Amino acid sequence: MAANVGYVIAAYLVTALALGGYTLSLLSRARNAKRRADAIAQRRRET
Amino acid sequence: MAATAERALGKATSRNGERTLGVASLVALAISALLSLVVAPPDAVQGEVQRIMYVHVPAAWLAYLSFFVVFGASIAYLRTKKTRWDRVAAASAEIGVLFTALAIALGMLWGKPVWGTWWTWDPRLTTTAVLLLIYIGYLAVRRITDNPSRRATWAAVVGIVGFIDVPIVHLSVVWWRSLHQGPTVFRLGAPEIQGTMLLALLGGVAAFTITYAYLMTLRLRVGRLEEREAREALSPIVEVER
Repeated sequence: MAANVGYVIAAYLVTALALGGYTLSLLSRARNAKRRADAIAQRRRET
Repeated sequence: MAATAERALGKATSRNGERTLGVASLVALAISALLSLVVAPPDAVQGEVQRIMYVHVPAAWLAYLSFFVVFGASIAYLRTKKTRWDRVAAASAEIGVLFTALAIALGMLWGKPVWGTWWTWDPRLTTTAVLLLIYIGYLAVRRITDNPSRRATWAAVVGIVGFIDVPIVHLSVVWWRSLHQGPTVFRLGAPEIQGTMLLALLGGVAAFTITYAYLMTLRLRVGRLEEREAREALSPIVEVER
């Protein structure tokens, strides 16, 4: 194995984790915000 | 021009546009990884570790682009007072912070084997750390007040003033003696880089730019939904106050 390949693997892993993790966090934030807004609207319609 | 930008934004942020950009960014990142890790040759001096450049440089360029968008959207907000521009600036600032932190982390992973240290107070590194702090500050300013119009105005001022650091970061390797290498591609004269390496680098910049566009559409949707949530939560209070 060539010298310092571990740093290259770490760099590409960090990149994938940062971009993938942020994407997943945005998808989760969007889902949660929509669910909360729908729930508030639904409660108001019912009262 | 602002109207054209608004129309383009509307098209890109539709759910179909979002999905298309998501697939395009995945494909572009896969091609970029192939070019960087398989097609491009190892560096004659640094060997394999130089391959970190193909993610480090695009991350740094995308940080510049993100903060340029914050700058433009902040000016547009102050001129038009349209919430949409504030939403664009907030989204781009958050993504810019991600890319700046990523560029710093990748630089550290490259610096350790090449310079023998994870971090040094070199002009490029220091000004980049300041850039990260400025835009973390920008995001903090957005949390100071709940008044949407005051929040947008304060943030726009920070977004415009903070952008001053971007050209300082870029030119720091020219203005001051630096351990960091100087410009090799975006410089006067021909690029000082081998053809296949240049292709892999430009492929990385293109893939990261498409990913930025995808993240922007997602983050803008989050912004719209969070605003709707706040409106729904506040509407009974607003009705009572009326």
